[in-house]
Amino acid sequence: MKQFNFHVKPIGLLDMLHFKKLVPNRAEKLAEGANEQVTSVYKVNRMSEFMHPATQMLTIDEIIAHDDDTKTFILTGQYIAPFRAGQYLSVYLTIGESVITRPYSISSSPQWTKEGKYAVTVKRASDGFASDWILSNWKVGIQVTTSGPEGNFYYEPLRDAGHVIGVAGGSGITPFLSMAYAIRDGLEDFNLTLLYGSCAESDILYKLELAEIEKNCDKVKIIHVLSEEKTSCYEYGFITSELIKKYGGDHPYSIFLCGPPAMYNFVDKEIEKLKLESKYVRHELFTSPASPAGLDGYEGDVQKQYVLTVKRFGEQLSVPMKASETVLVALERAGIAAPSRCRGGECGWCRARLDKGETFTPSHLDGRRMADKTTGHIHPCCAYPLSDLTIDICPE
Amino acid sequence: MEHNYDVVVIGAGNGGLSAAASSAKMGLKTLLIEQHNLPGGFATSFVRGRFEFEPSLHEFCNIGTADDQGPARQLIDSYGVAVEWVPIEDAYRVITTGEGADNLDIIMPFGEDAYVDRMEEYVPSSRPSMEKFMALCKDIMDALAFIRKSSGKVDTKVMMKEHSNFLKCGGYSVNRVLKSLHMPEKAQRILCAYWCYLGVDCDKTNFALYATMLYKYLQTGAWIPKQRSHELSAGMDKRIREMGGDIWYNTRAKRILMKDGKITGVDTSHGTINCSHIIAGCSPNAIFGEMMDEKDVPEKQKRMVNARNFGGRGFVLYLGLNRSAEELGLKDYSYFIYGSMNTAKEVARAKDFNDHPMQATVCLNVANPDCSPKGTCIMSFTTLYTQDVWGDISTDEYVTKKREVAENMIRDFEEHVGVTLTQYIEEIEIATPVTMARYTLNPQGTMYSYESSDWDTLLARLMMLKDDQIVPGIRFAGGYGPRIYGYSSTYMNGDLTARLTATDIREEKAL
Ligand SMILES: Cc1cc2nc3c(=O)[nH]c(=O)nc-3n(C[C@H](O)[C@H](O)[C@H](O)COP(=O)(O)OP(=O)(O)OC[C@H]3O[C@@H](n4cnc5c(N)ncnc54)[C@H](O)[C@@H]3O)c2cc1C
Ligand code: FES
Repeated sequence: MKQFNFHVKPIGLLDMLHFKKLVPNRAEKLAEGANEQVTSVYKVNRMSEFMHPATQMLTIDEIIAHDDDTKTFILTGQYIAPFRAGQYLSVYLTIGESVITRPYSISSSPQWTKEGKYAVTVKRASDGFASDWILSNWKVGIQVTTSGPEGNFYYEPLRDAGHVIGVAGGSGITPFLSMAYAIRDGLEDFNLTLLYGSCAESDILYKLELAEIEKNCDKVKIIHVLSEEKTSCYEYGFITSELIKKYGGDHPYSIFLCGPPAMYNFVDKEIEKLKLESKYVRHELFTSPASPAGLDGYEGDVQKQYVLTVKRFGEQLSVPMKASETVLVALERAGIAAPSRCRGGECGWCRARLDKGETFTPSHLDGRRMADKTTGHIHPCCAYPLSDLTIDICPE
Repeated sequence: MEHNYDVVVIGAGNGGLSAAASSAKMGLKTLLIEQHNLPGGFATSFVRGRFEFEPSLHEFCNIGTADDQGPARQLIDSYGVAVEWVPIEDAYRVITTGEGADNLDIIMPFGEDAYVDRMEEYVPSSRPSMEKFMALCKDIMDALAFIRKSSGKVDTKVMMKEHSNFLKCGGYSVNRVLKSLHMPEKAQRILCAYWCYLGVDCDKTNFALYATMLYKYLQTGAWIPKQRSHELSAGMDKRIREMGGDIWYNTRAKRILMKDGKITGVDTSHGTINCSHIIAGCSPNAIFGEMMDEKDVPEKQKRMVNARNFGGRGFVLYLGLNRSAEELGLKDYSYFIYGSMNTAKEVARAKDFNDHPMQATVCLNVANPDCSPKGTCIMSFTTLYTQDVWGDISTDEYVTKKREVAENMIRDFEEHVGVTLTQYIEEIEIATPVTMARYTLNPQGTMYSYESSDWDTLLARLMMLKDDQIVPGIRFAGGYGPRIYGYSSTYMNGDLTARLTATDIREEKAL
């Protein structure tokens, strides 16, 4: 050690004392702490619990039937989490042996949470399992369990253009309805032009509500586009680039899409013609297709049956699994409560470790973290088996 | 089904991961439980659109090159975890936006000599004091190694004789020692730019702590895992299992079970686990406040927890931009933008919201060019708060407040670095202390555990390792542990805690 001259205080011995004082000093300070119950829950922690509850117990307060295939359920709870217009709730269901979840966009105004209310709108899907069951089994007074509000399909002024063109198909209107309410109620500030595709006038959901909002709020414009019915007051055909240009006016505008896969397939090609930067095009979640047959890169045989071995918390069990279904669905059919939220590969909630076997994940649904791809992790909601599998899951 | 383990580790943050890895490696039957659905705590990643973001890490200290490994890399390597480490080129660019002496824009490199040389360029005649400073850093490192080896019982004679330089400064604050080295004020201030990594101003930061941190960065540089911190955490998960440990996610520790003053197990959201030892990666506040009955917590322990101050509560804005770093004109990886060079003033400002929050900002692509698709880049902007101010925001104002702070930070960055970002934002995410509380359950959403301020500094904590152990069978591995917060420190804490626990177990068996 080189000796050099510097003094914080003049005398060396004092330094030693000062150094030695570090311990008694700290001991003294520690002893000065209050002799009171310790806590780890502060204001911010309570806020986070309120805003992001693990689950919410809600009661069905009212049911509005739009037609035979579509109903809106008003769900109430005492303290319900606030949300951003466009977000969804994941609904927990037990149907027969199966324990499943389904995401439903919240269709009500964010304002409603003040009164303890959310609305979700459920439309029957062809071959629908959960939607069928909900439509016939959800009755006023029944309790349902949901997640907190989830998802990233909302307007963000720092990112999106001030003019948003919403492209909606069928029940894909629900997040836009919530956005339109939010604009009307002064909670969001942007111009929303909604291109809403339906088959025929009688299929339009929330026609009156949308018209009412449009009348009272000059920032919201609704254009109905009917694919199977020609009338003088509506656009006819599909939602094309021409139509977007006609109502979008000058760029910049952001396009938000929410609808069935067939709509995405068609409209995405139309949007390509507009040559927009990808930041201006945002999709609500894609959900995993009912079968991987015909998907790009899929080389499995959908007729096959496999065995799925599940490890959870030190236990192990095996269940049958079809090649045509996702690992998540196989789990749910077997009544194994596996975690899930978005069911479209994006949220990562279902993340599981693949111990053995091979799976196929469609590239457009693959929202895994980079390192997860190399450490053998899958998102079961969009992983289709290519062999027998062993996975490790941790139910909530 | 009965679950029996030697050690249960609560929380899979950095500290919990390394504690579980060391514990499993030593052959102890180990279970790691984590309330979230993946490992890492803050050391994770998240995906938005085409981007995978790094939530927290700016600079991992103590990694070093493959040939000249720092202690953190040695530890991680010893677990057999393969991480592709990417080096950071320069230490930092610091911009201060005030007037006169408070108006600066400089870039400091890694490497002891390079750092001193550059300082001389910016502050002529700073060299002698800078050289003294570096020599002092070396002495402190030696002294600390000696103190660590003497595990709580320091031989004062040896200290006086061999480590007198350390004794002269070890108990004082950064500012006091730098002054006594006759370092020009400007150099002092440039040297203090890392203060935000501790979240404490340089009047209150222990000199030995700051000097060793800076010196280690200069010596071994800073590194990041190529695939965000999640690469490291996922790699740890894999190796812990391969070494015989078990990991349960989505599992929350609820109660510590005790009989006759001894740990017998943990009640979790997935049942009871029998064990005699617990390593907590979560806060002492959670263990003693939420998981034990008040009557079982000794008075000394209660006082000890209540005496501590929480460290910085973080706010981070993440941007995925649809232009490359070059196109945007971003040449540096790490930017500190402060209002002034007076750290006490800066910390005082961080008490509350203000229009120009200090920021520690990173452009990931400058160090890690392939971290996002071609023609894009990733940035993160961090500021911190020294109080629970986000708790006073109503949920109605919350989104607007988040955006307001984000806008201020982007505006200041654009103005002082001379670039345009706003129109290129493709993805945006904002994490506040509320977000951090959600994902890590830390009290007040703190990212820096207990503040390492003057009296509660690393040195004092290390010397009191034994006194701090009050409830037998529970030790703290994360940022709340003896070696404080930060990636390198929490990894070391985890290992240290596991080794101490193994000793506890051995001693109990010998009885
Ligand atoms: C924005 C930001 C930037 C940073 N930059 C840097 C940097 O550049 N360099 C650096 O070195 N450090 C940096 N840090 C600090 C560093 O990230 C932290 O100090 C470190 O990660 C803390 O690790 P930890 O082990 O204490 O645990 P945490 O990450 O806090 O993890 C604790 C874990 O315990 C779990 N848990 C809590 N309670 C329970 C329970 N009851 N049951 C089960 N599980 C539970 C939590 O979910 C969490 O996973 C930064 C932090 C932030 C937020
Ligand atoms: S449920 Fe969201 S990724 Fe699988």
